[in-house]
Amino acid sequence: MKLWYSFLKELQLSSKSWYFYIEVGMAFVLLLILLIAVPEKSDPRIDEYLYAGDLPQDYVEVIYRSILDEEDEAITPQQVEVQVGDGVYEADLFVTDTRNLYFIQDREALRILAEEDREIAVEILLGSEGDMIYRYYLQGYESQRLKNLYMILHNNLVSPSFIQRHMETQTVKTLEESPVTLNNRENVLPVFLTYNGSLMGLFIIAAYIFLDKQEGIILAYAVTASKVWHYLLSKIGVLMVTMLGTSLILVVPMMGFGVNYLNLFLLVTVSAFAFSSLGLVLTSYYRDMMQSFGVFYILIVFLMIPNISYFTPSWEPQWIHFLPTYHLLEGFKEIILGGDDIRYLLSVSGGYLLCGLVLFWFANHRFKKTLTMG
Amino acid sequence: MITVKNLYHSYSKDDQYAVKDVSFEIKEGEIFGFLGPSGAGKSTTQGILTGLLQLQKGEVNVAGYDVKHIKNVMFNKIGMSFEQSNVYSKMTGRENLAFYRKLFDVETRDPEELLKLVGLSDKGDIKAGDYSKGMKHRLTFARSMINHPTLWFLDEPTTGLDPAIASEIKGIIKEENKKGVTVFLTTHNMYIADELCDRVGFIVDGRLVLIDSPKNLKLQYGEKFIEVEYVAGDEIIKESLSFVNQEDIGRLKIILDTYPIQTMHTKEATLEEIFIKVTGRGLV
Ligand SMILES: Nc1ncnc2c1ncn2[C@@H]1O[C@H](COP(=O)(O)OP(=O)(O)OP(=O)(O)O)[C@@H](O)[C@H]1O
Ligand SMILES: [Mg+2]
Repeated sequence: MKLWYSFLKELQLSSKSWYFYIEVGMAFVLLLILLIAVPEKSDPRIDEYLYAGDLPQDYVEVIYRSILDEEDEAITPQQVEVQVGDGVYEADLFVTDTRNLYFIQDREALRILAEEDREIAVEILLGSEGDMIYRYYLQGYESQRLKNLYMILHNNLVSPSFIQRHMETQTVKTLEESPVTLNNRENVLPVFLTYNGSLMGLFIIAAYIFLDKQEGIILAYAVTASKVWHYLLSKIGVLMVTMLGTSLILVVPMMGFGVNYLNLFLLVTVSAFAFSSLGLVLTSYYRDMMQSFGVFYILIVFLMIPNISYFTPSWEPQWIHFLPTYHLLEGFKEIILGGDDIRYLLSVSGGYLLCGLVLFWFANHRFKKTLTMG
Repeated sequence: MITVKNLYHSYSKDDQYAVKDVSFEIKEGEIFGFLGPSGAGKSTTQGILTGLLQLQKGEVNVAGYDVKHIKNVMFNKIGMSFEQSNVYSKMTGRENLAFYRKLFDVETRDPEELLKLVGLSDKGDIKAGDYSKGMKHRLTFARSMINHPTLWFLDEPTTGLDPAIASEIKGIIKEENKKGVTVFLTTHNMYIADELCDRVGFIVDGRLVLIDSPKNLKLQYGEKFIEVEYVAGDEIIKESLSFVNQEDIGRLKIILDTYPIQTMHTKEATLEEIFIKVTGRGLV
């Protein structure tokens, strides 16, 4: 009962505090970013720009025909206008399954595209012996392998038929049939959910506690018939409610009924619990925000690392699995995917719950010992 | 009500004790004054007694509970007013009290009644953050009474209050004590101590130097003072001199022989003078 009153009071207090509005405001800002700035459907095709304007027309025809031959379906080039820098240039566009090939009519435009827009740009010239010279505008980060490949291809060091034969003997194994993929917005959502919950949770509980420390509130609480852990848990309760609220602000408009909200609730609640308990433990060592800032900063950097591997799937070192946010990200992704890997979700939630309990127990122990600090 | 035996406390957990070998006993219904200069260890002792500081060494029994294993139910019987007021600044005075009363298992007092008692009735709806220092202090004081405590810890209850309000607070303490409440009062205000306390303890540098009733102390040290005002050149000089101290007697003789005397009377020593005599230290 006292716990309930404490919780209600904390809720009432937090609704009067800045941090609460920061939290809710942030959720709306994130939502706006998602809705406005992140395009929903990304075009998976790569843009490539070519310039063949100095070639005789029949050469161009040959190139065009070879493109058409490569593709299964018949493609007709479209006449389009491309905005480059301040000018607008005409181009022939071939849209294939994997690429948008622009044959742009202006050489200078191609240079600008390569240099300023960092696009893939190739110039095709006529050699002195009537052969074609390919001039690639490289960006500087291309690997030596790619450069070698270009050399091999264009200098006829290896015959196309050899490559063809080689490719046919390769076995290609599909690991996952028809994988569910997220569109851009949905793909960003787990990241927002993870960091909204974990990092903000960490920071905001610290802010609440330091505020109370400054006011000496904890001392007053300690000389009542109520227990210190009631006080701590009611703080965490407020955080959980805020996290759930802000998560819903993000998820409902984006996903509608497309996710299992029970799973979402579970993961948000346990992660809020664990991270705010961690926040409590940390605050018990410091007097104020200023003192604790360094530790929080380092922690946040570490917790952010899984983000890198999330967006760069090829980089996923083993040790990253030990960072708690890694599993939170994966868990939220699973939920947003509408996946049914309940076992993974439950084990992540279980892990968080367990860590949360240990941290909470320790925080309680610390707080009882350091009541008069600050 | 309170038994303390050989209490030591060091904040740095070494032999730099803020409280050293303190022993005393407080009986039920008593007002006990804990007096000493700033930094003497008053708040530290009180912190240990109320479980805010962990007991490191010694035996402490408060209201029947061993402080080594503090139980929260113990606080149903205890009230504590803090030296530094600590109320929720984002809540009004009334809300502060209304919330605090919910943290006890026993019958509690009506916030209205308490606000009235400390003269904050008309300020009940103002956020405590907007209170003046004295008002916050009164709210903290009022809050400490909310659970009808039988043992009441007061850390500097009148510091920073204007004399009229301080005197009201003094009245409230007396009133509660009449109802049987045991009071542990920490202060460096000797007048308050003198007026309120059944017994006082002098603490200096973490050591409890002496415990006795103000009355006994005055009997022992009191009538032996003489206060003399004399003219020396353009100045009027005032001195307090002891009857028993040979040096003081010699000094008195010289004054009587040398200067014109303006006034001269025996005087009851104030607690402050006694404190200085006993401990060799002032109160600040
Ligand atoms: N949190 C703390 N950490 C370290 N040392 C402390 C702490 N609190 C008090 N002390 C030291 O312990 C000694 C006793 O302090 P205490 O607060 O008990 O004095 P006090 O008698 O209450 O003084 P005052 O009249 O100024 O309130 C002082 O030397 C003080 O510097
Ligand atoms: Mg003190």
